[in-house]
Amino acid sequence: MPQFFMNKRLILLLVSIIVLVALIGFSLRERSKLSWPEQFIKDTTGWVQSLVSKPTNYVAGFFENLQDLTNTYGENKELKSRIENLASLEAQVQELKKDNKELRDVLGEKKTLRDYEPLPATVIGRNPDRWHEMIIIDKGNLNGVKKNMAVVTANGLIGKIKSVTQFSSTVQLLSSTDPKNRISAIVQGKTNVYGLVEGYDSEKKLLQVKAIPTGTEVKKGQTVITSGLGDVFPKGLLIGKVVEVKQDQYGLNQTALVKPGADFYDIRTVIVTKRTMSQSVTSDTTSGKETGS
Amino acid sequence: MKKFLLPLLFLFIFILESLFVQYVPDDLFGQNKIIVPHFLFAALLFLTIFVGQKQGIIYAAIFGLLFDIVYIEIIGIYLFLFPFIAYLASKILNILQNNFLVAILITIVGIALLEVGVYEMDHLIHVTDIDFMSFLQLRFYPTFIFNALFVIIAGYPLKRLFEKHMEAMRAE
Repeated sequence: MPQFFMNKRLILLLVSIIVLVALIGFSLRERSKLSWPEQFIKDTTGWVQSLVSKPTNYVAGFFENLQDLTNTYGENKELKSRIENLASLEAQVQELKKDNKELRDVLGEKKTLRDYEPLPATVIGRNPDRWHEMIIIDKGNLNGVKKNMAVVTANGLIGKIKSVTQFSSTVQLLSSTDPKNRISAIVQGKTNVYGLVEGYDSEKKLLQVKAIPTGTEVKKGQTVITSGLGDVFPKGLLIGKVVEVKQDQYGLNQTALVKPGADFYDIRTVIVTKRTMSQSVTSDTTSGKETGS
Repeated sequence: MKKFLLPLLFLFIFILESLFVQYVPDDLFGQNKIIVPHFLFAALLFLTIFVGQKQGIIYAAIFGLLFDIVYIEIIGIYLFLFPFIAYLASKILNILQNNFLVAILITIVGIALLEVGVYEMDHLIHVTDIDFMSFLQLRFYPTFIFNALFVIIAGYPLKRLFEKHMEAMRAE
């Protein structure tokens, strides 16, 4: 027995396993903020990363432009055919906007869950071990980024802010399988159906929208947007299109498989959305929700 | 000046991994395959093999911690696995003879061990819920082949660099 305890290596291994479990437990619990050593290290590496990634971004952008040039002819043709519809659509949108504004003035309701302040940011890093799908952006606390804000690209929602340091922040992508990563969503149809974006099928590359009640009708091709309920997400950010609907295990809920609008790879620049309507005003969101949709 | 060469090199590889996943297209090696670069860990294992066990494990611990804080935000996974596998590698090296081929083999096996170890840990704390077979298909085989290629290509330059570094340190 004493010999067993004399074995220095074994003791070292046991102690390090205990420390490991403690550290993992420490970092897994719900944290509103990172501890200051972590923030310091993240800021320092973030600075180095932006030094390296900005020139790289530039070079990569140059090559991408070259590639784009080769497709110009075909693209131009397609765009020309689309632009014909655009003029009439624009007029329609103008009219609807005006209408909407007038009706809102009548109601006396100025802000909606839809309004947000866009804050553009550059991606300076990405998690190389692709279990926890995360990217690091170059805007932080000083730029007004807060935890849980929605992050979008031109094609739709990509994720939310997981943690913020002074000069950079980490975005958890929708494609990470973290069960805590949930977002309230609406499937748009004749009537809006509410669900939760929860989990990602990495083999099929589809998002799962769970907790849709069984009675409701969800069809293939319907659009899924954020609902703006709950946290600091604005309403109406595109998530994707429904590809498949299936019953869940017990037949109580439906799960819709959604093809995300945004590409989770090849992200260069993102937009952090700061919802203008603050949390405290959300008590009257019920009316805002109905008029908004 | 020579003193800062190694930390700078590792810092560069550390950032290179992140750039790699950001810029190399996702479907480079076919659809539905996830390739994870382990350049940093390959370099750490080479450091352990060619420079020394003590230095290798210290570097592994420091960069494991850095990796956890910056990229993962769960402290402990790489902080534990990097030094642990580096230690195992140096123990195995004591049994086998130290030549270049053995070093490459040990590095490749070490990377495979790391990938499986990370999967098991992430499975344990419910970061992922895919089963082992689909993990093999989706991530392990492509990652293994890709990193083996990297080790074979980058192995010799790394070895030369570390040996030169050793000589320079001895001369001082």
